[in-house]
Amino acid sequence: MTEMSRRGFLKRSLTAGAVGAGILYGLPGGGVAAAGSYVPMGSVIDLTKCDGCKGKKAPLCVSACRTKNADKFPEPEKPIMDYWPQKKHEDWSDKRDLTSRLTPYNWTYVERVTVEIDGEQEEVSVPRRCMHCENPTCMNICPFSAVEQHAEGIVEIHQTSCMGGAKCRDVCPWGIPQRQAGVGPYMDMIPEYLGGGAMFKCDGCVNLVKQGQSPACQTACPKGAITFGPREEMRALAHKRAEEIGGYIYGESENGGTSTFYVSKVPFEKIDAAIRKAKADAKDDKPGRPTMPVNIGNLLDTPNGMALSMLIAPVAGIAAAVVGAAKIMKKGEEE
Amino acid sequence: MTTKPQVKRHTTSDRFVHWGSALSIFLLIFSGIGQMPMYKRYMLAELPGMAWSADYGITLRMHYLGAIVLVTVALYHIVLSLRAKRLGLVPQKGDLKESVKIIGAMVTGKPEPPSGKFLAEQRLAYAFIAGTVALLILTGLLKVAKNLPGVSIPYEVMWWNTMLHNIGTGLIIFGIIAHLAAFLLKPNRPLVKSMFTGTVDAEYAHHRHPLWKARPAGK
Repeated sequence: MTEMSRRGFLKRSLTAGAVGAGILYGLPGGGVAAAGSYVPMGSVIDLTKCDGCKGKKAPLCVSACRTKNADKFPEPEKPIMDYWPQKKHEDWSDKRDLTSRLTPYNWTYVERVTVEIDGEQEEVSVPRRCMHCENPTCMNICPFSAVEQHAEGIVEIHQTSCMGGAKCRDVCPWGIPQRQAGVGPYMDMIPEYLGGGAMFKCDGCVNLVKQGQSPACQTACPKGAITFGPREEMRALAHKRAEEIGGYIYGESENGGTSTFYVSKVPFEKIDAAIRKAKADAKDDKPGRPTMPVNIGNLLDTPNGMALSMLIAPVAGIAAAVVGAAKIMKKGEEE
Repeated sequence: MTTKPQVKRHTTSDRFVHWGSALSIFLLIFSGIGQMPMYKRYMLAELPGMAWSADYGITLRMHYLGAIVLVTVALYHIVLSLRAKRLGLVPQKGDLKESVKIIGAMVTGKPEPPSGKFLAEQRLAYAFIAGTVALLILTGLLKVAKNLPGVSIPYEVMWWNTMLHNIGTGLIIFGIIAHLAAFLLKPNRPLVKSMFTGTVDAEYAHHRHPLWKARPAGK
């Protein structure tokens, strides 16, 4: 057995073991990985099952998320300073009850849109939150490495290292992380001139997942619209379900691949257009209501292509140096 | 046009290394600050024609481009210096003490202690800049690797790596300011011309570097 294949075998064995352990736990979604394993986890959000918890004050996944994460919500020091030299700052602390968009106090929400299918109007409810990308742009681009991707594939922002530049929101295809001013390490520096707060988003209930449990939104869903389990199993499940209903998958290729697979019988182009229209109609241009651009690429695609040049170009530098040094030695030049 | 006799101070290769690093480091600092992110917040992007500076996609590509040039130049410099044994800028024992003397002499106008081709303070400045550039390149390359799909680096390693890259940025900006500030002192000024033309006045070389066997220009 070669070294490579031995390593591959070892990896597969560990993965299989962890999946097996998850099945033994008898947890939903075909098995949550055992604590300490490195199997990337994922979820399927079945839009044919989600009805946005009609009639309830807030969808149950949203309420469960808020309750579970209440102790992590920001408590800003007031009055909050503007982002000098600008005359504004982002403060959601007076809108903590808002459940209709993503805020630092609301890490998931359900977007309800009406789409036209074969001449008929159909309402679609789309639970939105961080999709936990395979190669997260937010993590790669953070200038303070405040974002961690856990072995379980979950992407978490560490507010203790976050300066609140909101770059993660700008580079996220869905603008998921939301900013709260008046909190974070910048408050101990020179908050008048530097820093903007801290960024907040779904942390995939990483503490629960590490204990072999499912995220709060999944457990709370009364319709079984969210399934949680090893990412590859979720991918397979999404494909199976999409085939059954002759539907579509979102999140598998977007931003280079995510851990969240939406399944819908309505094409996502229509859902995306409906969200954009709803936002335009409401003149809502604030962050926190993500659209669903189909096949959106990763901001790092081009730089990653350039990375190869970073390996090749120096070879030219070394070659030129070898030739140049030989010339100098031949001439016997002194420095 | 000078008519004074000249001696070679900076070869074409030296000037290639200096200007190649200078321009790429300038590009890296500008685009790196753009990645901090600064230009939207501090409204540089609102100046006419500067809107692109707040685009992370653009500044990141600029940063990669600068890195490609800098890594190339740095490797050229290291390999050439080692192979041709041109190691006169490597700091020597006692350089710190001697630097204090030289800078003191420059400020007070007293005669400097005799030097070879490089002054002790030039060797120290070189070591500072080269060391900082090495730190920035190594931590930067790890950041590039981390950006690739499928590459996973432990979080603590990345956190420290990022911290060191940011500290390196501060150090290189300080180093460049100090490097430029050196030209506020009159005795250093003839070197500015040399970094463009490659030569200094023979009289200057003789006076300031009495232990240097300088090669007359053009030979």
